[in-house]
Amino acid sequence: MPTPDDMVPDTGPDMAAAELALGVLEGDEREAALRRLIGEPAFAADVERWRDWLAALFADWPAVVAPAAVIARIEASLDARGADVPVAANDNGARWRMLALVASVAACLLLAITTLLMLRPAPEPVRVAVPVAGPPPLIAAMAPTGKGTPVAAAYDPARGVVRIAGAVDVPAGRSAEVWAIRGTDAPRSLGVMADATHAELAVPAALRGIVAADTVLAISIEPAGGSPTGAPTGPVVAAGKLNG
Amino acid sequence: MQTLYCRPSKVSLALPIVLQADETSLNSARAALVEALIRTGQEDRDAFRAVYRMTSAKLFGICLRICVDRQGAEDVLHDVYLTIWNRAGAYQPGRASPISWLATIARNRAIDWRRRQGRTRAAPLAEADTIPDGAARQDDLLLADEANARLHECLEGIEVRQRSAIRSAFFGGLTYAELAERQAVPLGTMKSWVRRGLLALRGCLDADA
Repeated sequence: MPTPDDMVPDTGPDMAAAELALGVLEGDEREAALRRLIGEPAFAADVERWRDWLAALFADWPAVVAPAAVIARIEASLDARGADVPVAANDNGARWRMLALVASVAACLLLAITTLLMLRPAPEPVRVAVPVAGPPPLIAAMAPTGKGTPVAAAYDPARGVVRIAGAVDVPAGRSAEVWAIRGTDAPRSLGVMADATHAELAVPAALRGIVAADTVLAISIEPAGGSPTGAPTGPVVAAGKLNG
Repeated sequence: MQTLYCRPSKVSLALPIVLQADETSLNSARAALVEALIRTGQEDRDAFRAVYRMTSAKLFGICLRICVDRQGAEDVLHDVYLTIWNRAGAYQPGRASPISWLATIARNRAIDWRRRQGRTRAAPLAEADTIPDGAARQDDLLLADEANARLHECLEGIEVRQRSAIRSAFFGGLTYAELAERQAVPLGTMKSWVRRGLLALRGCLDADA
């Protein structure tokens, strides 16, 4: 319950980076800090520094042996996933490479189409031949925030897959992570690009509702393996809105 | 220097327990984890199991503390390791220690889970604030290092209410509103404690840099 004390505007030094790293913010304050994370590289660096500092506290956390059932369940989930997604299996390399090639070619085509659309002042409706049944894909031309070329993204609602094509400049030892931002909500991770030129990311079922027309897709540079926090921590290198 | 391993030789990376960490064993434990993570990224299930053996007790401790509910903590731990399996392919030995990276994933997942459940299931303050202050760190091979010692030194130097609030926030995964409610103080008071504590902490850590 707010009290008069809480209505006093916050004064004093700006500790938002530390507060975000500690995880005490919520609601509007958290959203505002997450927006700064995307827009202000110095703020992002500060948050990262605080996360490193606070990580020392993990040493105090008492370890508790996990029940044996958990690893059994994890193994079962991985086995089931392997069966559902044969392209990920080791013995299916050729098929996987072929799919990757097809996806990459498709995404390149989408980049060309998207770029053309962007260049036209009053674009006519363009029909894109869709190679899959179901709802048509949504596409986004993600404009680079610095130098570089646009990165194309296509979301296939039927398969729940986002394809990315274009060159993302990823410094050594860092990863490019793809985010979906719906309205003013906090960015949600769609995954890390294993390759800086193209990626195919399966959108988790829980996130499919927010990947839709007008959702902004963005790519940020994160520590190797992706943001450790679930929110972007590094600079955004490209962003663009999905269109039907 | 006495070092106890659960298993001999090659599988010493499986849950090493040392009574007193020295730099060599610290580095080799970390190197073993980094290597296992890299091999996990190449879809090596044995390496993934090694990562699990080395880290699951720590990560389960985190999940359990924040979720409180045991079943919830097991569900979160399951999701955390699926994430590790999926993301390990992009993992490269970075500047942060690998166990911190993994622990951060677990902490954030657990906090997400608890917030989805609503506040009714959150830990009482006494529960959230009873992490032994520094007691566990002596025997934690993957985490013991100089930066760690420095953070603890600086934390011990700040005012007790501020330190307690910061520790509760970290270990309980608590927001300002939850901290204020548990301590029965106005929200503004709690914010002021935490902010002043963080400011003092930064001053101490910066002075050392």
